[in-house]
Amino acid sequence: MSLKSERRGIHVDQSELLCKKGCGYYGNPGWQGFCSKCWREEYQKARQKQIQEDWELAERLQREEEEAYASTQHPQGAQSAQSLTFSKFEEKKTNEKSRKVTTVKKFFGASSRAGSKKVLAGKLREVQEAKAASPISRQVSIETDRVSKDFCEFLKTYHKPGQEIYKQCKLFLEAMHHKRDLSIEEQSEYTQDFYQNVADKLHARWKVSPEKVEMAMDQIEKYIMTRLYKYVFCPETTEDEKKDLAVQKRIRALHWVTSQMLCVPVDEEIPEVSDVVVKAITDIIEMDSKRVPRDKLACITSCSKHIFTAIRTTKNEPASADDFLPTLIYIVLKGNPPRLQSNIQYITRFCNPSRLMTGEDGYYFTNLCCAVAFIEKLDAQSLNLSEEDFDRYMSGQASPKKQEPENWSADMCVGVRQMYRNLDLLSQLNERQERIVSEAKKLERDLIDWTDGVAKEVQEIVEKYPLEIKPPNPALAAIDSENVENDKLPPPLQPQVYAG
Amino acid sequence: MGNGQEMAQRTTGNKEVSFLQDAPGSKEFSCVFKVVLLGSSSVGKTSLAYRYVKKDFQDSLPTVGCSFFNQCVTLDATTVKLEIWDTAGQEKYHSVCHLYYRGANAALLVYDITRKESFEKAKVWLSELEKEFLQNEIVIILVGNKLDLSEEREVTIEEAKEFAKTNCILYTETSAKSDYQVTELFVTLAHELLELEQQKEKLRHTTHWKKSRVDLQETASRRMKCCQK
Repeated sequence: MSLKSERRGIHVDQSELLCKKGCGYYGNPGWQGFCSKCWREEYQKARQKQIQEDWELAERLQREEEEAYASTQHPQGAQSAQSLTFSKFEEKKTNEKSRKVTTVKKFFGASSRAGSKKVLAGKLREVQEAKAASPISRQVSIETDRVSKDFCEFLKTYHKPGQEIYKQCKLFLEAMHHKRDLSIEEQSEYTQDFYQNVADKLHARWKVSPEKVEMAMDQIEKYIMTRLYKYVFCPETTEDEKKDLAVQKRIRALHWVTSQMLCVPVDEEIPEVSDVVVKAITDIIEMDSKRVPRDKLACITSCSKHIFTAIRTTKNEPASADDFLPTLIYIVLKGNPPRLQSNIQYITRFCNPSRLMTGEDGYYFTNLCCAVAFIEKLDAQSLNLSEEDFDRYMSGQASPKKQEPENWSADMCVGVRQMYRNLDLLSQLNERQERIVSEAKKLERDLIDWTDGVAKEVQEIVEKYPLEIKPPNPALAAIDSENVENDKLPPPLQPQVYAG
Repeated sequence: MGNGQEMAQRTTGNKEVSFLQDAPGSKEFSCVFKVVLLGSSSVGKTSLAYRYVKKDFQDSLPTVGCSFFNQCVTLDATTVKLEIWDTAGQEKYHSVCHLYYRGANAALLVYDITRKESFEKAKVWLSELEKEFLQNEIVIILVGNKLDLSEEREVTIEEAKEFAKTNCILYTETSAKSDYQVTELFVTLAHELLELEQQKEKLRHTTHWKKSRVDLQETASRRMKCCQK
């Protein structure tokens, strides 16, 4: 009974989990209930608009400035100077449209006539600051504050070293702020060095016990990464976003892969198993909403544990890696976790290395990397399919998933049932459509054949009975002259004159 | 129900930690080594690790997963922690498996003595490992499993020994089913790892490089040893 109610609860959860836009993929509270793709679209739109507005404002200010400048200085030369800067302006605009608003500042900073631009830059900075206080970043800062407070509380238990750690972290964050323009690899290296240094110091100088060092390292990671997250997660200088989209597209294209094809030892017909599978999918999707690498790892580990439960429930024996990896691949394919590559890259770059290379979390993370690598390379052979079938499924011409109505299990979701019914209807319509098209083609062919046939017949007749127009007979006038039997004829009657 | 399971996991997790703390000499020299199990599917990789861990932990079997193991080995006053990573052996996952042995300290190349092709596969694994690691960077042991089925043997001891010798790796035969030489295998592994680590430690002290782990001037000196009688 309790199981059933729990199950119902999960179903509600699942529908809530879906993207608000209704694209069928899972949404995420971090993205206001959208899936990664829809959120990106929404967010991009808003951002583009913002950027556009900023540019328009900047342009207006620039124009005003230029006009003021021109009227006071060179009434003649200003026109050309203005057009020159504007062409540069336009070029930059197209180049960096997708970039951050800060580029506006940069551009003006680099402008030739710095004196008159100072006021302008100040105005722009105000604009930026106003923008920075958008609801999203405010939410972030609340969380950051909470983490900072927790961190301070935690460090109090470390007494003297605690203060030192805090100082080190502050210094590190300061340094990272100045390194923001560096490549992400350099930033990552710097962070890793920092972890190493602090751990060494804790161990060697302050003689903190290994367990406490580990705890402190976890807290330090949490503190600094919560602060750095928005600058170093999926940075614009890398290809991460592109890769995310590629993986997402790939997984979408592979929607037809069944657990049988991957040889997944999980039977989703068993209600408990399907529950656990849903939990595993939820966990792996939740990973994206975490900001600290270690929390992300915890999501992966939790997902893996659920997978092991699912396998054990199905097979009634402990699972091995031979079972685990295919199941994880299946879960990733089913869940299509948002920003998968970005998350993997982020964890690799900024997680405390001792967590990543060893330990249970590291093991499951490695498995996830394997799963993603496998999905990227997946081909017909790895699913035991023929090339033709694989290509057909990939192009969406056929779907191996279609089920017969009598095979539907009783507890199947109503929506899914409806979907199958619709799919069925669609395929029927498709069939009829195809028949109509083929009939139409046939009719067309018949018509062509008929006209051709008629033409041919006419041609034949024409050939058979050629129309010969004989030249007019020149001797027609003397038609009688050729009369061979002329002499047999009695002599022509001679006119006789009767005297009268 | 889900909560109960989580609780169970947590308690076993704690047990492991407490074991680590209580182990004698753990503070003296406590090393964690990553060991990957490589080999074709169903050669007994999991069984091997399972058998080894199970014997020492009669009642605290891994509650859920059986592909990641933590095991502490105490060798005269030193405790070594082995982290055993099981890998998927199916052919189709071969292309992604290099991710598993990143940062590994040891690799067990497991093959089935009754299946020739699994031995051939082990050779492939070895060549992959050689691409990734320098010779004295990793401990590699060739393990012929399923000795209990020696009547159906397809890979002779001589053949395997010869191969191990030419490639400078250790070699043993085990049976996870009848628990033959499994513990010995892991103890030998721990010994080897410790020795390698001490060598590296010495290097680190003599040369003043702190980060570099491999001295290119050092001649590759690896002692040959065989667990097989």
